Parts: sequence; structure tokens; C-alpha cells
Amino acid sequence: MSQTPIVQIQNLKKKIGNKTIIHGLTFDIYKGEVFGFLGPNGAGKTTTIRMMVGLMGITEGKVLIKGNDISKNFKEAISHIGAIVENPEMYKFLSGYKNLIHYSRMVKGVTKERIKEVVKLVGLEDAIHNKVKTYSLGMRQRLGIAQALLHSPSVLILDEPTNGLDPAGIREIRHYLRKLAQEEGLAVIVSSHLLAEMELMCDRIGILQNGQLIGVQNITEFVSGEEQKTVRFHVEPVEKAQRIFAAKLNDGVITTGEDYIDVLMEKEAIPDIVIDLVEEGIKIYGISEMTKTLEEKFLEVTGGKQVG
Amino acid sequence: MANFIGLIRNENMKIYRRIGSIIMLLLLVGGIILMGVIEKTTTEKANDANWKQAVTKEIKEDKKTLNEKLPDDIKKHVKRNIAINEYRLEHNIKPIQSDSLWGFVDNTSDLVSVISIFTIIIAGGILASEFSWGTIKLLLIRPVSRTMVLFSKYIATLLYAVFMLVVLFAVSWILGGILFGFEGVSAPYLAYTDGKVVEQNMVLHIMSTYGLNCISLIMMVTFAFMMSTVFRNSSLAIGISIFLTMGSSIAIQILHKYDWVKYVLFANTDLTQYTTGTPLVEGMTLGFSLTVLAVYFIIFVALSLVVFNKRDVAA
Ligand SMILES: Nc1ncnc2c1ncn2[C@@H]1O[C@H](COP(=O)(O)OP(=O)(O)O)[C@@H](O)[C@H]1O
Ligand SMILES: [Mg+2]
Repeated sequence: MSQTPIVQIQNLKKKIGNKTIIHGLTFDIYKGEVFGFLGPNGAGKTTTIRMMVGLMGITEGKVLIKGNDISKNFKEAISHIGAIVENPEMYKFLSGYKNLIHYSRMVKGVTKERIKEVVKLVGLEDAIHNKVKTYSLGMRQRLGIAQALLHSPSVLILDEPTNGLDPAGIREIRHYLRKLAQEEGLAVIVSSHLLAEMELMCDRIGILQNGQLIGVQNITEFVSGEEQKTVRFHVEPVEKAQRIFAAKLNDGVITTGEDYIDVLMEKEAIPDIVIDLVEEGIKIYGISEMTKTLEEKFLEVTGGKQVG
Repeated sequence: MANFIGLIRNENMKIYRRIGSIIMLLLLVGGIILMGVIEKTTTEKANDANWKQAVTKEIKEDKKTLNEKLPDDIKKHVKRNIAINEYRLEHNIKPIQSDSLWGFVDNTSDLVSVISIFTIIIAGGILASEFSWGTIKLLLIRPVSRTMVLFSKYIATLLYAVFMLVVLFAVSWILGGILFGFEGVSAPYLAYTDGKVVEQNMVLHIMSTYGLNCISLIMMVTFAFMMSTVFRNSSLAIGISIFLTMGSSIAIQILHKYDWVKYVLFANTDLTQYTTGTPLVEGMTLGFSLTVLAVYFIIFVALSLVVFNKRDVAA
């Protein structure tokens, strides 16, 4: 990606009291992508988002939105952002529509037509004049997205947007966000502690743990980004085959199972090893490349700490 | 500017669409009606025809008291009474009875203190509730400075007080007219200034009564607003503010022999001490009180602004 980033996070730190919660995050986010912010509960996702939208002071480092420093040039920077921080809390005693009117009065240029458009986009036409206290969590989440999109921002930040939604709701949100990024060119930032969800929704993810960014990678690279692959050979007898692998591959990591051997090796070496195995009279029932799931990879990167 | 008006409209919407604010409005109207009913049913109808006799008798008694040994300020008060009563006889102006239109409006002006308490409740909750609802996060991520958000809330709170005062006046006037008749509507108020009696418009008199009561209202509402901004806890802010409002006059009376009391806010909120009464502590002047009030006001506002602007929002 050679374009200039819409959001630039530079060495972002947060200290509360004498406890450092965020230890220097640096990453960029581009137009048209869905960026996932992944990490277990307490990793610091919400704290980072709070700093990005100016709700919390920045101890050190910078957040730039279209080049505007959120701490120094708040009004300009924030006018490009739409966000939900944690739960989409709205005024329950007002109707959904009044809530949107409320937020529309705080920015310039949001017309009644725009409100109507956004309501339609999130599919709340039927319930928009009901009080928010009658809404389901999914409806509140959608109203939350509506208020975030009202002023046509370039950056959409959603903190755990799928929290408490049923699978259908999750699918719907995922569909939305992809559409917003692809068709409208928004930069979408979502946080989650659920891996499977991120895998389906995001183009890139940054993994956050204990306030540190462990890595930022493309989803595809992340899952299969290595030269060496784990290859599974279903063979018989396993013991004899293992000796052949040990002799032929000097540094391949080998693990054996009941009726298979997993070998970490380069793809190009497979034909040669097959010839060796056949010559030694080993029966081969199958050879398959093992792609790691994001989950396995995640556990590997975070040192096996369980998420969720 | 258009933006700021939008912010105030938002705050108004959030005040008036909540049941609590409506209940307070109904309580105020209910209070006025109750006062009217009590007045109507318990007070004997004053003998209108004989008011001149009654006034003459009062003047005689007052003059007798003047010969006794009394403190200066009481004598001043008695002299004022005599002057006004003599003016009444001279110009044929009936005294304002409590069972008349203006007498009733004057009586219900005591309800300004109830409006104070209601406005304190609004002030204590207007920011703290955004924190407890969690809506503060969505409110502060707009291209509007925190200072403006805070000001819009403060202005909306004061507008609520103004609205309640208008209701108080309008309902009292209409009910007073219905219960006691509209015939006394043109009666003037007799003011006594610099040893002279002057006729004043009754509406103006009521307005100045409201206005003087509003000094305490504004100070306590600003105090409650500051407390709730600093502690983000509406019950605490409301509780302390109401407690101080109600308990202060007693405390001030007990402590008034100490000189330092004059620097206490509550020693300065009652400005009638300079017009009709005597200053609480010798040497206090109107200018002194206004200065003290201004200093407190600036401290309350500055504290709210500084704390709110610096605060991390983690609700
Ligand atoms: N106001 C605060 N004061 C002290 N510690 C806090 C505060 N807010 C959050 N933390 C701590 O910061 C860490 C990150 O929290 P958070 O950003 O909410 O994580 P996440 O959103 O990833 O679950 C947690 O360990 C939490 O205890
Ligand atoms: Mg969180």
C-alpha cells in the first residue's frame, strides 16, 4: 500500500498513575481497509481507542487523523471520525430518531435527508421513532453505527461491535463493514477478543497483548506467511519413515502420530523425499500441506495464552 | 453560534423529555394551587370598607412604639411603616392583602426557594448522568470543545430556572385572579427609599423579589454544577448543595459574631440585608457582598472548566 495512511499512530503510550497501560503502539491505517484490533480482555484495546478519539489524554506519542493531531487539533481531527466506544449507549428516554437529531446538531451539514439515508442503511426504518429503551441489543448496535456514520466520516472506529449479537447479527455487521470499506472507501477499525470473527471481517489485524503490539499482518500472510510448511505424510511403517526423514532433512522438525508424520519442510523438497520413501519400501497413503488456522497462529504468537 | 444554539437545544431536549423534570414542574404548580386553596379557605375576608380605620390604628400603635427604647434598625422599619401607611390614607391606596391578586403572587414568591432546589437537582445531574448513562463517550467525540459542551449544559440549567420562574409567576397571577378577583390588578407597590414613599409597578416589585432570591439560586446551582463536574456523582452534588442551601441561614445566624463569617458565601447571598435589614457583620457593604459573590462564582466556574477539560473519560 503506497497511499498515505488516514490514521497514523506513533509510539502511543498511556500511563495511569504509575501503571503503564499502553506501551508505545505504532501502526498506520489506510483508506478502504478493515483493520482488526485483536487482543484478550484487558489488553488495552478500549484504552487505545479512547486515546484515538480524544476521550483520554495521551501520555506520550501521537495520533494523527488525516494529518491532524487529535490532541492539538481536536475539532478538525475528530470531524473525520465516527465511533462507538464500548457499548452503544444512547439516550434511552429518547427515540432513535431524536438521538440522531441530537448528534446531527453537533456537526455541520447533516440534513434530514442524510439522517433518513443512514437510518435506511442500518435498516432501522420501522423502529426509528420508538424509544431506545425498547430496542434490542442488535438494534442499539445498529443505531450506534448510524450515529457514527451521520457526518460521513473517513474513519469508522467500532469497539467490540459484535459483543452480545447473535450469529445472524454478527454476519450482518461483518457484511456492512466490508461494504463500507470497499464501496465507500472508509477506513474501518474494529476491536475484538474473538479471533474467528476477525479472520472473516478484516484485511489486516494488529495483535495487542498487555498493551503491546505483537504484530500487524495481513490476514492471508498471517495464516500462511512462511517459507516452510508443515507437511503431513500418512505412511506405514511410521518408525522406519521417521528414520529416513531424520537422515534426509538435517533441520526439519518432526512429530509423529499414530499413522502419520508431520514434517516442517520446504515445499520444493517434497518430490525428492517421496522418491526416497518409495525406494525404502514405505507405503504412502497421503501427503497434505497443513495450513495453520488463525487460531493456532495466534496462540503461537501470544505464547499460548487463551483468548476469549 | 448556530452550533452553540444546537447544543442548548440538545440539552433542553434531554431535560424536558425526562419524567423527573416534568414531575418537578407539576410539583411547583401543585404547590401554588395548594397555597391558593389554603389562603382561600383559612383567611377571613378582610373588611375592605374599613381599611382606613385599620391603617389609622396601625399608625397610632407604630408611633407609640417609636417612643420606646429600641434598636435603630427596628425604629427605621417602624418609620417606614408609618410613612407608607400615611401615604395610603393620603392617596386612598388600599393595602395589599394576602387574599388579593398581588398579595397572593407576593406570597408564592417564597416558592423561588423550591425552584432553587429543583434547579440544583437538574444542575447536579446534567453532566453526571451522561457519565452514568455512558453517553458522555458519544457526546465528546464531536467537533465541539468540552468547554462549549459544559457551557451549553450550564445555560440550559439556568434556562430551566427561568422557565420555572415564568411558570411560578404566570400560574400565581392567574390563580390569584381566579380565587381573589382581578380588580386589584392595577394596585401599585409602595416603596420607601431615602425617606420618601414612591409608587412602583407591582410587576416590577415581584420581579425584584424574584431577582433577589435568584442570587442564592444562581450561586447554589453553580455550586451543584461544579460539584457534579468534579465528583461525577449527582446524588453527592445534589445532596450537599441542598443541605447547604437549607442549613446555611441557621449556621450563619449562629456564627455571625465572628468577623470571618463575612467571607462565607451564604453570608452574602441575601442582599436584602442592605435594603431593608441590617448587614450581618458590621462593615459589610453591598459592594463587598457583590465582590465575594463574584469571586465564588469565578472559582466554581473555573474549577468546573479545568476539571472537565482535563479529565480522562473512562465511563
Ligand atoms: N481508568 C483506568 N485506571 C486504571 N487502569 C485502567 C483504567 N482503564 C483501564 N485500565 C486497565 O487498562 C488495561 C486495559 O484495559 P482496556 O483498554 O479496557 O482493555 P480491553 O478493551 O482490551 O479489554 C486493563 O488492565 C485495565 O485494568
Ligand atoms: Mg474493551
